[in-house]
Amino acid sequence: MLEQLLIFTRGGLILWTCKELGNALKGSPIDTLIRSCLLEERSGDASYNYDAPGVAYTLKWNFHNELGLIFVAVYQRILHLLYVDDLLSMVKREFSQMYDPKRTVYNDFDDVFRQLRKEAEARAEDMKRSKQAVKPVSNLSRKQLSAAAQKAGSEDGIKQKGGASGKDGGDGDFVKGRKLENGYSNGIGIEESHAPGVVKNKENGSSENGAFDVNKIQKLRSKGAKKSDTTSKAPKAEPKKKAIKKNRVWDDSPRESKLDFTDPVDERGDENITVMADQGESMMDREEIVSSESEAEEDEEAEKDNKVNAKKKGWFSSMFQSIAGKANLEKSDLEPALKALKDRLMTKNVAEEIAEKLCESVAASLEGKKQASFTRLSSTVQTAMEEALVRILTPRRSIDILRDVHVAKEQGKPYVVVFVGVNGVGKSTNLAKVAYWLLQHNVSVMMAACDTFRSGAVEQLRTHARRLQIPIFEKGYEKDPAIVAKEAIQEATRNGSDVVLVDTAGRMQDNEPLMRALSKLINLNSPDLVLFVGEALVGNDAVDQLSKFNQKLADLSTSSNTRLIDGILLTKFDTIDDKVGAALSMVYISGAPVMFVGCGQSYTDLKKLNVKVIVKTLLK
Amino acid sequence: MEGMEKWTNQLQQWLYQVEHWVHQTPASSLYVAIGVIFFTPLILLLISLFRRTKSNTIVLAGLTGSGKTTLFYQLRDGSPHLGTATSMEPNEGSFMLHSEFSKRGKIKPVHVVDVPGHSRLRPNLDKYLPQTAGLIFVVDAVEFLPNCRATAEYLYDILAKASLVKRKIHVLIVCNKTDKVTAHTKEFIRKQLEKEMDKLRASRTAISDADIANEFTLGVTGEAFTFSQCHNKVTIAEASGLTGDIAQIEQFIREHVKP
Repeated sequence: MLEQLLIFTRGGLILWTCKELGNALKGSPIDTLIRSCLLEERSGDASYNYDAPGVAYTLKWNFHNELGLIFVAVYQRILHLLYVDDLLSMVKREFSQMYDPKRTVYNDFDDVFRQLRKEAEARAEDMKRSKQAVKPVSNLSRKQLSAAAQKAGSEDGIKQKGGASGKDGGDGDFVKGRKLENGYSNGIGIEESHAPGVVKNKENGSSENGAFDVNKIQKLRSKGAKKSDTTSKAPKAEPKKKAIKKNRVWDDSPRESKLDFTDPVDERGDENITVMADQGESMMDREEIVSSESEAEEDEEAEKDNKVNAKKKGWFSSMFQSIAGKANLEKSDLEPALKALKDRLMTKNVAEEIAEKLCESVAASLEGKKQASFTRLSSTVQTAMEEALVRILTPRRSIDILRDVHVAKEQGKPYVVVFVGVNGVGKSTNLAKVAYWLLQHNVSVMMAACDTFRSGAVEQLRTHARRLQIPIFEKGYEKDPAIVAKEAIQEATRNGSDVVLVDTAGRMQDNEPLMRALSKLINLNSPDLVLFVGEALVGNDAVDQLSKFNQKLADLSTSSNTRLIDGILLTKFDTIDDKVGAALSMVYISGAPVMFVGCGQSYTDLKKLNVKVIVKTLLK
Repeated sequence: MEGMEKWTNQLQQWLYQVEHWVHQTPASSLYVAIGVIFFTPLILLLISLFRRTKSNTIVLAGLTGSGKTTLFYQLRDGSPHLGTATSMEPNEGSFMLHSEFSKRGKIKPVHVVDVPGHSRLRPNLDKYLPQTAGLIFVVDAVEFLPNCRATAEYLYDILAKASLVKRKIHVLIVCNKTDKVTAHTKEFIRKQLEKEMDKLRASRTAISDADIANEFTLGVTGEAFTFSQCHNKVTIAEASGLTGDIAQIEQFIREHVKP
């Protein structure tokens, strides 16, 4: 039973709800659907799950893009209703016929809806019944098949052992082959009693079993061979270990005596380190000079190429259509243009499934729309995709960190930022850059060295702290990072620092114990900002990294409000040229905005994400 | 055939007469005559263009969930119908206000635009600002305190936009949902907003210019921020979209879109 079915416009006015299903919906599933799914460019998904205290709904939707209408059906998740998709498309057809932009009351649709619902339910019942008729036959056959396979398998097993124990390869094969044939015939003999239509499946199944057994035989044979090989290898390894590696000399240049250029530093003295007073303005504060003219030219060239590449067969018809304006866009028309767009996105290093979902979402929003005259199909699709990309990359919440710092300052506690990420993405380097930027805006910063695993991590941060002249809280190695962070925050409250930047060790997203440790750190200290550091060079793994990080943080959190990733710091941006897709993949999968972009290795190389430039680069 | 010849003869005579007259009149007066003929339509066009800059657009803006779409339909039809959902696109309409349907005489229709409040759809507002005659900023008076900061940020961004300040557009802050018991008063909301915007002013000016796209800074440095310090007029009113208590809004609209 449906909970509710709504029809509303894209502008937000509800045109019709079913009055028979009078149950008021608990919570606000429609608004949540719009905010977290449709506006997030996930309209290509099949359904949306809404959870609120006391209810669990599933929502399905359909669009009528030409008239700007949205049809949403809500039902309880435990009931798996099959007729909802059918019902939605029928409702869409009927309602679009009686829709008038000036009308706002559609009471006569009630009767139509009642009829449609009965039809849909009846159709679903029929389908269910026909499915049930097919099922019992296949169940029985499956049991028979497994029994036959077990018999054949056990027979073969015994014979295989006999074969491997010492017989010659050729004879053993011949014997096994015959036994397999027996196994086959046994299987088939049992099957012949059943309906012929089902026999084919079972034959395939038994042949698979037979193939599996052949593989087993080969493995056993190779195992026997392996044992003889390892014995011969062992004596060869020993003499190699005794030879020492010599230092390689390339030309006849004199050998360098000292390769260690680190300054001799003792624990307290800092005279040898040059103090990093001012390296200039951080790039965060400099406006980016966007050369729009050259990009426009490149766009035109690309379009010309597209025109030339278009099929000559359809040239006249497409020209005619572009002038006249085709009636309605069908999915089949959109497919080639979308496929081209998807490939272009993927060449820009966007993760494959993200590109796929985006294209589906754009298709869902363009289907059935009337193509305006004087526009080509590809340009319509391109504009729609551009809008979608701008929408995704525009941050959902304010990324004004300085404002948040001021708020925390007034409340008298330090603003805590935790840097998380996988190994080697640049957490410590970018932590120092963020500290430099904050210092330029007269915010007092303190670093907390909670990477207690990697050798040299604490020294690295100590060097940065000395150059920036800011306090650092460290407890050496092999300590619990969560406790170190807690004490660092207490120290910051005591000495009045505005911001605490916490550095953590890099960890792979599927390393369970390390993710648990990270979760403990976050739960214990409840930081104000959890910043995920990701490198722009990453490809499809970005999706996996972010989703697993978020999932582990959500699963292992103990308190009621789960802290997820609040922002993304994109690093190594200067290495990727124009393959900027990682930014899009990360923002799409996590919903968190990109707060900083690291574009170099010195302190000033930190900037903000320019959404328009990124979108332009992605669609070039 | 003879008639035709007669006509052609007469035509030729007239032409000859015209030529003779043209040669007779002095050249300067001829030029003046031609100039006048060409320039009067041009001047008329320019005058009409200048006249048209007095637009009749009113923009409804505010955070998501504050009740803009409900107000839009109240103004247009006098009832919010079956309710609203989060808008994904702007609602535009050129109509006479519902309460003025009964009035006689020719009343100029008002072009009202309801811009979605969801943060991802903010760029839509910039499209309509250049042609607006008045801006209505809708605030949810019931759920005011949890959203105070976001409201203040949005309002600050709007008040600092160049297109608004230069044309001195009147902004009306409407405290919506006053039919509910727990709604705050407009005085309380005004004070809270002024306090928040003062804090915002401090943090925004601390950041260098390239960071935030605020083209103007609000208020007077050294003094606490009040709405009276803004270059353009800012007033506060109360309304309730669901029950139809929108008299103050209609008054505002009528002030700016002369009938």
